[in-house]
Amino acid sequence: MTIFQIGILAFIAIGIGQLHKGRELALLAFSAFVIYWLQPPQQFVSLAFWLPAATLGLTVILWALTSTPESLSWKQNWPAAMILAGVTILVALNRYFGLEQVYMTTTPPLLQVAVVVFILVGLTIALARSRAVRPAVYWLALVGLIVLFILLKTPYFVNHLFGFVKAVQAGDAEPKQAILSWLGFSYVAFRLIHTIRDRQSGRLPSVTLGEYVNYVIFFPAFTAGPIDRIERFVLELRSPVSLARQDWVEAGTRFFVGLFKKFVLADALAVIALNDILVTQVKSAGWMWFFLYAYSLRIYFDFSGYTDIAIGLARVLGIRLPENFAAPYLKPNLTQFWNSWHMTLTQWFRAYFFNPLTRAMRSSKISWPVPVIILITQAAAMVLIGLWHGVTWGFALWGLWHGLGLFVQNRWSEWARGKQPSWLQTRAGAMIFNAAGVFLTFNFVSLGWLFFTLSTPDLSWSAFQVLFGFAK
Amino acid sequence: MNDSVIPVVEKYIASQILKQPNRTLQPAEPLISSGLVDSFSLMDLALFVEDTFGVRIEDTELNANTFDNLAQLASLIESRLSK
Repeated sequence: MTIFQIGILAFIAIGIGQLHKGRELALLAFSAFVIYWLQPPQQFVSLAFWLPAATLGLTVILWALTSTPESLSWKQNWPAAMILAGVTILVALNRYFGLEQVYMTTTPPLLQVAVVVFILVGLTIALARSRAVRPAVYWLALVGLIVLFILLKTPYFVNHLFGFVKAVQAGDAEPKQAILSWLGFSYVAFRLIHTIRDRQSGRLPSVTLGEYVNYVIFFPAFTAGPIDRIERFVLELRSPVSLARQDWVEAGTRFFVGLFKKFVLADALAVIALNDILVTQVKSAGWMWFFLYAYSLRIYFDFSGYTDIAIGLARVLGIRLPENFAAPYLKPNLTQFWNSWHMTLTQWFRAYFFNPLTRAMRSSKISWPVPVIILITQAAAMVLIGLWHGVTWGFALWGLWHGLGLFVQNRWSEWARGKQPSWLQTRAGAMIFNAAGVFLTFNFVSLGWLFFTLSTPDLSWSAFQVLFGFAK
Repeated sequence: MNDSVIPVVEKYIASQILKQPNRTLQPAEPLISSGLVDSFSLMDLALFVEDTFGVRIEDTELNANTFDNLAQLASLIESRLSK
């Protein structure tokens, strides 16, 4: 996002926050528009329309599947359905307004497309009103979402798909490196999975179409999180916004601090942050550490800056988004680092992956030794968190690095429990121990970024060799 | 009621999780956010509570937002028991 786009978002957020009536629908209309507006251009031009349309379509279908009978009446839901269809049609009609340069990156396709989306929305609502969803449908939806997620996140599949389409279209069988960027999909998919799982356990609150879609595509958090929980979000969406002066100060501070972190600190650090090119040129360990630390700081300021902006924007809309970062680089061990880095993602994985797996292993007939359970659950959860960023070796190794790190730390704390020497009980001793922990954790995390940011494990390995002075 | 739940849970955490049977825990002492109870032990705590009090704690509830100290955990257990 550019600073200009963020400025527009802030301006509109303030406007919508002031509405007494119709805030929910205005928010829905603008969030739906933002999805189309921010979608980056695609190699296949029409995808810039189809991907956002698919986000909306998918969300509406999952609302219909997960909603409870009392929230399905047409009377409560028609305004939201009209708004979603209306925004889509307006975007498609843009070809006649000639505003391509202003708010769309590409010329949207014909009106037919909008009609199709409209029918999709209408049909889903009609279906939703007359159905009883079988439990198997939830599992089907879950598997479908996960398969779609894996396909989209795997460069191999995307390249082949694009190569295939190109070959069909132009008779050119040469597959080319292609990037499919479906804006916001990673976050949207995880919000949808959360609603399916909670529906299955009977914990999903009864929500209208407008509330559900607002939760999934809420524009401040659409591109980079945080991942909220629907029951919390909807409570705030339903209550009227009343902002005291203190709230404005807090929201404004958060917003401007976020802008500063992202556009001043992170963008300046980007110049000296480790990347594929630098890594092949740097031969001295000292400089390699310098560039690596610059990357560690850059990724933190970039991501936490975006989060601050999102939290600030949401605040003026009357929504308190959950925190995503809590000074992660100042934590004395890896467990605490992961309790304060991208917290809403780790909480999601705990709730829907780590805890169910731990529960299953702990209550199973086979009595697994505790260390084995910890190793398997930690490593699996962290590798999956890695793969969430993209299905590549680098992300998998990054996850494994942290999974093994957490395991080692867990075993060490278990062993050291109750064995604290007396010097550690003193204030100075505790401070030194804490500082050493912070230093060690920061360096461990920084080394992990080598797998995350460099495009191949070979490059990461060569950086390791330079960092520790055993390069050839 | 609070009086009977807290000591039972406290004893379990001190002896089984922290391995320090003589340790006392304050009702408002943070357990999860402080890192005292890690994510693995948290599941053991949930299983213990489920077995002992016959109430269910969902996987999605095992975080510092739902309960972070003995007092909060005790009220959660009681609210489920009274249903």
